[in-house]
Amino acid sequence: MIFFAEAYLSQLIGRAVRDPSGQVVGRLEDLIVSRNGAFPPVTKILLRRRKQESLALPWSTVRSVSEEAITLSAPLDRITPSLLEDGEVFLAKVVMDRQIVDTHGRRVVKVNDLKLGSVGGRVRLIAAAVGTRSVLRRLNLEGIALAVCSWFGYRLPEHLISWEHVRTLEPVPDQLQLDIEGDRLKRMHPADLADIISDLHAKDRVALVSSLDEETAAEALEEMEPEERAALLNSLPGHVGAGILDEMAPDESADLVADLSPERQHELLSLMGEEEASDVRELLSYPEDSAGGLMTTEYVGVRAGLTAEQAVVHLREKHEDAEVIYYIYVVDNDNRLVGVMNLKDLILAPPQAIVDTFMAANVIKVTPEVHQEQVAKLIARYNMLAIPVVDKEGKMQGIVTMDDAIDSVLPTKYKKRIPRAFAP
Amino acid sequence: MGRDLLYRRRLLAVRLRSLAIFFAVIGPGIITANVDNDAGGIAVYSVAGANFGYRLLWVLIPTMIALIVIQEMCARMGVVTSKGLADLIRENFRVKVTVWMMLALVITNAANTASEFAGLAAAGEILGVTRYLVVPACALLVWVLVVKGTYRGVEKAFLFACLIYLAYPISGFLAPNLKWGEVFHQTIMPSIDLNTAFLIMIISVIGTTIAPWMQFYLQASVVEKGTRLEQYPWGRLEVILGCVIAIVIAFFITVACGATIFTTGERITDAAQAAVALRPLAGRFASLLFAIGLFNASLFAASILPLSTSLAVCEGIGWERGVDRTFREAREFYLLYTMLIVVGAAVVLLPGISTAHLLKIMIISQFLNGLLLPVLLILMLRLINNRNLMEKHVNSRLYNFIAWGTAIGVGLLSIALAIITLFFPSPG
Repeated sequence: MIFFAEAYLSQLIGRAVRDPSGQVVGRLEDLIVSRNGAFPPVTKILLRRRKQESLALPWSTVRSVSEEAITLSAPLDRITPSLLEDGEVFLAKVVMDRQIVDTHGRRVVKVNDLKLGSVGGRVRLIAAAVGTRSVLRRLNLEGIALAVCSWFGYRLPEHLISWEHVRTLEPVPDQLQLDIEGDRLKRMHPADLADIISDLHAKDRVALVSSLDEETAAEALEEMEPEERAALLNSLPGHVGAGILDEMAPDESADLVADLSPERQHELLSLMGEEEASDVRELLSYPEDSAGGLMTTEYVGVRAGLTAEQAVVHLREKHEDAEVIYYIYVVDNDNRLVGVMNLKDLILAPPQAIVDTFMAANVIKVTPEVHQEQVAKLIARYNMLAIPVVDKEGKMQGIVTMDDAIDSVLPTKYKKRIPRAFAP
Repeated sequence: MGRDLLYRRRLLAVRLRSLAIFFAVIGPGIITANVDNDAGGIAVYSVAGANFGYRLLWVLIPTMIALIVIQEMCARMGVVTSKGLADLIRENFRVKVTVWMMLALVITNAANTASEFAGLAAAGEILGVTRYLVVPACALLVWVLVVKGTYRGVEKAFLFACLIYLAYPISGFLAPNLKWGEVFHQTIMPSIDLNTAFLIMIISVIGTTIAPWMQFYLQASVVEKGTRLEQYPWGRLEVILGCVIAIVIAFFITVACGATIFTTGERITDAAQAAVALRPLAGRFASLLFAIGLFNASLFAASILPLSTSLAVCEGIGWERGVDRTFREAREFYLLYTMLIVVGAAVVLLPGISTAHLLKIMIISQFLNGLLLPVLLILMLRLINNRNLMEKHVNSRLYNFIAWGTAIGVGLLSIALAIITLFFPSPG
């Protein structure tokens, strides 16, 4: 079988298709690939015939592809047409001229053309062509444009995105392919993923977020603008939305839930995990601009009387999800805050030393009603990374992290430029 | 217990806040309607009334029906697909059609931008300020306003200033020669002269009311607003309301000019003469009032039109776009936008463009709109009747009838005009 080394889909479409005797039986209307791995192989061709329905023929019936025509290996009446199977996709109809996610370049782009290549004996989809040059090629102006550009001494660059970095936006049928494609998105930084989600159309947003695993979706949502993520959460099915909320940090969940309509809040809270829902309800009960409204319930606390070694074991076992692990709060049996230590002290202390001996007992703290500005002032004054929030009886309620405190007093424009201190 | 109460209080606060925001925001329909009456609009309606009396009023009723149908189609497409018009054209008609459409759009909208600057120049000259000062200053102002992203803050100011249009109905009612019977008669009964001047005016009236760039702008605004399908009936109401407002203003501009200028037997050849229409209301200050209105309308449209065009073209071709991107990230977008402003301003500043030419520029740009409209309509009709795209929200038979009727009607008028111009040229 003689194939090309590489070719563009736009140049193949419309090419004459001949049977072995040389007679033209139709023109190439489309190519069909199977979503299988990083570079989907071509599995069928769609033949456009005059005054008749188009036929899908297996790729195995194609004997050779030349500049002039595509030649089949058997006469048309001896080939059984095939139907589209699960996981197969029309390239020209469904992928060309649509938007895709470039997970490497971290943006959303329009596909102007598709590049195919022979890899390991099979013809595969290897790249998406975006950018101006591919538009010119579609208009058959590439030759002229190149000539004009070389006259000016300018090289017209080609923009290709390797297909292994591409994530299309239609629903993916099977779990295996979903895992493969989802993986590329998982590797992106949540802030970049959030940017991409913002760039998509509303429907595509829902499709993309629904296809992510809950943890990745939660991390991405945490980085999105409040209005956008509220709109997104409203468009997701209840159990999907609740699942994502479960995975988000409680203070972020509370902020997000607060922006929803009361009916929607009720619906989602009832679908969430019990513990997570009660955390969120608790945080929602405080005014937004207070310590209670800013705090997160994910902090690290150990019992007084433990040794340093026991404390470290406790950390390993119980505190995977904590946002701030640099400060460890020491509490008594009633959960009252009695002291705080930092991680450095804990690690450097002799393993058998009781935490009470090297913790700082005079802890700077606030109650939930304290206004956010006051909280920010305290954090700034004492150079803290986080400040604990206790109730009237001194019992730990949560902590306000430095980035959240600053968030609340800085204008939005600057917020985006400050790195999140405690992002994963 | 205490927590529950606080929790409920917070829900209430959120609810009240949302209501307030809803009322504070004026929607895409009303904004588009006001931008509809830009320099070109004021020019066309003024000339229609001043040079043809009430004879073109009948065009407004079918135009209004067509406008409502077409704008509603765009809004519906935006809500159902949540994609812009340029995007839909690209996805469904592929690259060649998209590129041709975008090219036509750029040319037409460059002419429209020139018309806005012509309006600014004309307004400036009425106030005694040379265009060589007004036009570059405004071009720079608009460019900075949009590129720095501070446009939104100024939008409300522009809209508020649109209240000036109230001067036209008031003036109309105060005009001494106004015979409402005749106005009513001409609004209902069509009358048509088969000569170039008349045909050009009809096409221009339609073109300025149903400008192609407005369809792209409206759909993009609806998508940006993020209206959901359940909320759409309110959105539709808002769009219809906007259309009615636009036509009412157009009607009164035409009537006021017809009652004042046409009756004197004069024909207007430059914008300053159109100010006479406001004499019954403002007397000596008619020119001042007119100039302020024209200035506001032109500046408002100049802030929206080139931006909307650049966004649409980049959306269709697939270039990065948006003022929130840096120049390096969205090179083509910024270049296109700047080019539109520069060309628009330059045309008006060319040597040999007299004050009378300014008015001609405003009219011709709207005429181009009218020529492009049938082509765009055909594309839109194919999109909105596509069940794969719109599901159960495709056009009803009535809507299709009206939209197709408009496309065919305007198309026939253009062909008739071409035939008459080529084979039966008339002097003037």
